[in-house]
Amino acid sequence: MRRFFSDWKGLAFNLAFFLNVLLVFLLLFESRFQVPFWMQALGRMHPLVLHFPLVALILYSIWVFVVEKPDSTRWNAEVAESLLIIGALTAAIAAFSGFVLSKEDGYESGTLLWHKWLGVAISLLSIGWYASRKYLTPWKIPSKIVAAAFLLILFIGGHLGGNLTHGEDFLISPLGPSETAGTQVALEDAEVYEHLVKPVLEQKCLSCHNEEKSKGNLQMQTQALLLKGGKNGALWDTTKADLGLLISRVHLPLDDKKHMPPRGKVQLTEEEVVLLAAWVKGGSRFDQKVSALSPQNPVYAYAQNVLGGGRVEEQYDFTAADPEDVKKLTTSYRLIRPLSAESPALFVNFYNSANFKSEEIEALAPLKTQIVSMDLSKMPVKDADLKSLAQFPELRRLILNFTDVTGASLSELKKLTHLKELSLSGTAVKAADVKALETFPSLKKVYIWSTALSNDELAALKKGQKIAFETGFRSDTVVLPLTPPMIENENQIIKKNALISMKHQIPQTVIRYTIDGTEPDSLASPAYTKPFALDKNTTLKARAFRQGWYGSKKIEKRFFIAGIHIDSARLEKPADRRYAGKGGTTLIDEVKSENEQNSGKWLGYNEDFQGYLYFNKPVEASKITLSMLRNLGGSIFPPTKIEVWGGADEKSLKLLKTLNPEMPAKDIPGVETMLFEATFAPQQLSCIKLVAKSLAKLPAWHPGKGNKAWVFVDEVFVN
Amino acid sequence: MNTTRRHFLSKLSLGIGSVALGSLLIPDLFKGGGELDSDALMAGLPHFAPKAKRVIYLFQNGAPSQLDLFDYKPMLNKMHGQDLPESIRGGQRLTGMTANQAKFPLAGSVFSFKQHGKSGAWMSELLPHMASIADDLCIIKTLNTEAINHDPALTFFQTGAQVGNRPSMGAWLSYGLGSENQNLPGFCVLLSRGKGNGQGVYSKLWTNGFLDSVHQGVQFSSGENPVLYLNDPDGMDRTQRRNMLDKLAALNEGTYNEFGDPEITAKVQQYEMAFRMQTAVPQITDMSKEPESIVKMYGPECLVPGTYAANCLLARKLSEQGVRFVQLYHQGWDSHGGLPNEIKGQCMDVDQASAALVTDLKQRGLLDETLVIWGGEFGRTNYCQGTLTKDNYGRDHHPRAFTVWMAGGGIKPGVVYGETDEFGYNIAKDPVHVHDFHATILNQLGLDHEKLIYKHQGRRYRLTDVAGKLVKGIIA
Repeated sequence: MRRFFSDWKGLAFNLAFFLNVLLVFLLLFESRFQVPFWMQALGRMHPLVLHFPLVALILYSIWVFVVEKPDSTRWNAEVAESLLIIGALTAAIAAFSGFVLSKEDGYESGTLLWHKWLGVAISLLSIGWYASRKYLTPWKIPSKIVAAAFLLILFIGGHLGGNLTHGEDFLISPLGPSETAGTQVALEDAEVYEHLVKPVLEQKCLSCHNEEKSKGNLQMQTQALLLKGGKNGALWDTTKADLGLLISRVHLPLDDKKHMPPRGKVQLTEEEVVLLAAWVKGGSRFDQKVSALSPQNPVYAYAQNVLGGGRVEEQYDFTAADPEDVKKLTTSYRLIRPLSAESPALFVNFYNSANFKSEEIEALAPLKTQIVSMDLSKMPVKDADLKSLAQFPELRRLILNFTDVTGASLSELKKLTHLKELSLSGTAVKAADVKALETFPSLKKVYIWSTALSNDELAALKKGQKIAFETGFRSDTVVLPLTPPMIENENQIIKKNALISMKHQIPQTVIRYTIDGTEPDSLASPAYTKPFALDKNTTLKARAFRQGWYGSKKIEKRFFIAGIHIDSARLEKPADRRYAGKGGTTLIDEVKSENEQNSGKWLGYNEDFQGYLYFNKPVEASKITLSMLRNLGGSIFPPTKIEVWGGADEKSLKLLKTLNPEMPAKDIPGVETMLFEATFAPQQLSCIKLVAKSLAKLPAWHPGKGNKAWVFVDEVFVN
Repeated sequence: MNTTRRHFLSKLSLGIGSVALGSLLIPDLFKGGGELDSDALMAGLPHFAPKAKRVIYLFQNGAPSQLDLFDYKPMLNKMHGQDLPESIRGGQRLTGMTANQAKFPLAGSVFSFKQHGKSGAWMSELLPHMASIADDLCIIKTLNTEAINHDPALTFFQTGAQVGNRPSMGAWLSYGLGSENQNLPGFCVLLSRGKGNGQGVYSKLWTNGFLDSVHQGVQFSSGENPVLYLNDPDGMDRTQRRNMLDKLAALNEGTYNEFGDPEITAKVQQYEMAFRMQTAVPQITDMSKEPESIVKMYGPECLVPGTYAANCLLARKLSEQGVRFVQLYHQGWDSHGGLPNEIKGQCMDVDQASAALVTDLKQRGLLDETLVIWGGEFGRTNYCQGTLTKDNYGRDHHPRAFTVWMAGGGIKPGVVYGETDEFGYNIAKDPVHVHDFHATILNQLGLDHEKLIYKHQGRRYRLTDVAGKLVKGIIA
C-alpha cells in the first residue's frame, strides 16, 4: 500500500503517457477510426471529466505564478506537483473522451476543430510540463511564461467547448438587447419564403450546406443557390409525384442513408415538412405573400402558428406624458390610462352622465399630444364640444354613441388627421353630415347604427369605398312572439272587489284579457287599461299584442274570493308525513297552492280526511267550498263522499250537506284544482266538521288498481 | 410596536427586499404582494398593448353536449346503438354514473346539422341564431380538461386549479388590470337557470382567493335590489351617508396609521365604491331605455329579470361601462337523461341572446375590445347513459374533448380550430388544454400569463399554475 502511494505519480504518468500516445495515433489515422458503440459512453463522459484538468491545471499555473523563492515550504511544492500530474492524467482522459465524442454526428464545425486541437495540445503540453518540471524551476521567468500560456489555452479551449454545448452567444446574450422583440413580422406582411421557409432552412439545413461546408455540393443560403441545386441536380421538380429531391429526401425513413437532415442532426418537425412540401408544390415562389393564400392552405395554417399572436403595436412618435399629470386628471368619472405599460399613448373613458360637463374635455388639454382614444358614449356632449375635441391632434378613435351631437359641427373633426374610427350611433346625425366624413383624411370606420338615417341613405353610404359603415342590426323585418303579460297579484285568494293589475315589460304593449273563461284574442277581448275588481271566483286569461310582433302565449290565473275569516282549524289526524303542510293552518291561511302536490301548501291523505274549523263568534254561513287536487296519474283522486257538519261546538254537530263527487271513468291527464261547493240553509255556526272519504280501491283501468287512492286538500272557504 | 407579526414581517421583507435584494428577485414580486396604497384600484397595466380590454364569459353550467350542437359526427348515427370500441375509450375513467354500465352504446345526435358561414362551421338546428353569426365566431372543438365531475371542473375553469380557494379568472384580471370604471366593480357575476337538469354554482367560483378582497366578483341578483345591501336604509339620505362615510374613513385612517394593515385601506375603498355604485347601478340595470330593436335582437325575454337573455343584455351594459370581467352562469345543461328534450329548452334560452350579445357589441364597435366566451366545464359522452332509444338518450360527462367558442377581443373570427376523431371522443388535432385557454385569454388582455404572479404563503401563484401555452392559431 505504502509503495503504491509512494509511486502513484509514476503510475499516473505512465497511464497519461500511454493515453497521449494512443491519442496521437488515433489522430493520425482519424479518417479510418470508427467508434465502437461501447466507447460512446466514454465519449459522453467528456463534459464531466474535462472539469478535473481545468481545475487542477489552473491551480497549478496559479501556484507557479505566485511562488517566489526556492525556499518555499516543501509542502507547497509537493502538493503543486501532485496537482500537475493529476491535471496531466485527467487532461489525457478528457482529450481522449473528447475525441471519441467528436466522432458522433452533429459536431462538425470550425469551433469544434479549434476546440479539439487545443484540447489535444493541453493534454500533450501538460504531460510535457510534468516531465520537464525538474528543468523548469517555478520561480524563474520561463516558468511564469509557460503558466501564463497555459492559462490562456485553458481559457480559450474551455470557452470554445462551452460554445459547442450551449451555443455561441450563451454567455453574453443576457447582457445584450433582449431577444428579437419587435422584429417579428405581422401575418399580413409576411412572405412565404422570407419569413417561413428560409428560417427552417437556416435552422435545419444550412449547417451542412453552406459556403464553407457544402455537402453534396449543395449550398442553401440564397435563392440563386437553392435554384442551382447540388451534385444530384435540382432541388425540386413539381412534375414528379415526389416533388423532387428536397421533398423526397425529407420524407425518407430516418434510417435511410439519404434521409435529410441526416440521423443525429436536429430533425424537421412534421409541420415543417408539410410547409416545405406545400411551398414546393405551390411552385416554390420566392415573392409570395402569406396574405395572398387561402386560409385552407397548409402554408397559411403554418404561418398562423408561427407568426400568429404577434403583438403588432402601433408605434407612436410622441413621448409619454408626465405620470403626475395623468394621475391628477384622473377622477372617478374620467379614466385616463396608457394603452399598456410601455406605451406613451393614452385613452380616456367618461362615466356617469350626471357628472359630465363640457369643461371635462377641455381640462384634458395638458395631455392632448398623448390621447389617442376617447369614449364619450352616453355623455351629454353638445355640438359645440366638438371644437374642443378637435384640439386633440393624436386622436385615432372617438366614440360619440348616444350623445347629443346632431352632426351639424362634425366638420370640426376634420382637423384630426389621425382619426381612424368614429362612432355616431344613436345620435341625430343626418345623411349629408355623414357623407361629408368621406373627406376626412384618415377615417376608415364609422358607426351609424340606431340613427334616423333611412335604409336608402345607408345603402348609398355603403357604396362608398373609403369608409366602412357599420349600420348594425335592423329590427324592422324581424317578427318575434311577445312574452306573456305579467299578473301582478301574487296570491290567488283575494278579498272581494280587490283590484287585479297586469303589466308588460315593453311599454305601450296592449294586454287583452277575459274573465269569462273564453280565450282572449286581439280583437274582441277588452284591452287592459287600469286595474279592475273581481267579485267572484274567476279565471283570468290574458295575452299581449303589439305592432310588429306576434301575439304572446296566454297567461292564466285563477282567483278565489276569500270567505268569512276562520279563526282556527284542527285536523283529526295529521296528514301524510310528506304532504303535511303547516297542519290545520294550511286550510285557513288564505294561500292557494299551485297545482303541485309537493309545494308544501297541500295536505295529503292516503286515507279519509277529517278536519274541524272554529269561529270565536258564531257566523252566518250558507256555503262551504273545499279546494282539492286531482292528479289521477299520481293516484290523487276526488273523494268519494264529502260531508259537511255544523253546530255551536264539536258536540252538537249536525250533518248539513253531503256531496258525492263523480268518479272519473278513465284517465284524465294533468294536474288540476277541483272546487267542491256545499250549500245549505243559512244558519249560525261556531264549528264546522269536514269529512272527505278517499277511494278505497283504485279502478281497474289505473296502473295502481286495487290500492287506496289519495285525497289532497289545501283551502276551505266559508260564505 | 403596535403591529401584527405578519405585517411586521411583510413590511420588513419589503424594506429589505427593495434595498438589499432588489434586482436579485423577480421584478414586481412585491408589487401587490403587500403594497396597497390609494392606487390599488388603479394599479396594474397590461404588459403589452392588449387586443381586448374586457371579457364576457357566458358559462354554460352543467356542460352542454358538443355532439348535439357543434361537433358533427355522422359516424355516431351510422353506428347508433353499437358499443363504443375499447380502443377509442382507451381506459378513460368514467363517472360513478356510467362506470357500472355493461355496455356503452353510441348515440348519434337526433338533430340535423348544417354548415354555416365562410368557415363552413357545422352547427345543429338548435342554434339558428349562433349559426347566423358563424363568421364572427372562433369555434374551438378541442378544449380538454382534467376533471370529470362538475365541481372540480368548474373550479378548474374558473381558477386554474381543481381545489378551491384560488382566485377566479375575473379576480386575476381585476388584480392585473384594475377596474376601468371606478363606479362599478371590476368583476360582476350574473346567474340564470334553465329548465334542464341543473348543477349548483357557488360563490367560491368568483372568489378573490388570496388576492385582495377588492377583486372579488360581485353578484347581481334579479330582484328589486340587483346588488344586495347597496341601498341606504329607510330614512337615511345621501348627505347623511356621505358624512357617515367621511367619519368612518377618518377613523379607519387612524387605525391604518397605527397597524398598517392594507385590508383597512381596501375596506375604505370598497365603501367609497359602494357609495358611487348607489347611483351607477340603477342606471345600468334600468332596461326601460333600451330601444325596441335591442329588445328584438335579444328576444323579449331580455326584459324579464333573471333570465339568461336579460343577463346578456345586462352584461353588455356592464361591459360597455368598463366592467373588466362579466361572468354569466346559465344552469341546466347536465343532460344525463332525456337529452333531446332538455337541450331544446336550454338552446331556446341561450341561442338568440348569445348571438345578440356578439352582434350588439359589434355594432357598438366594442367587439374588437371585448372577448366573448361561450362554453361549459366539459363535454358529454358519445355513448348513451341509461336506455338508448331511437330518439331519446342521455350523455355522461366527457372531459377529453369538447367545444367552446370565442368571439371578438382579437380572436380570429370565422374559424373552426382543432378536430376530434370520427367518434368525437378523442382529439385528433390541435388540443387546447384549460391552461392554454387561460394563457390565451390573458394574452388577449395584454398580460403575459407567466408574469401575472402573486406570492402567497411562500409560493408564487399564476392562473396557469406551471403550464399553459398560447393557442396562436386562434389569435388574429
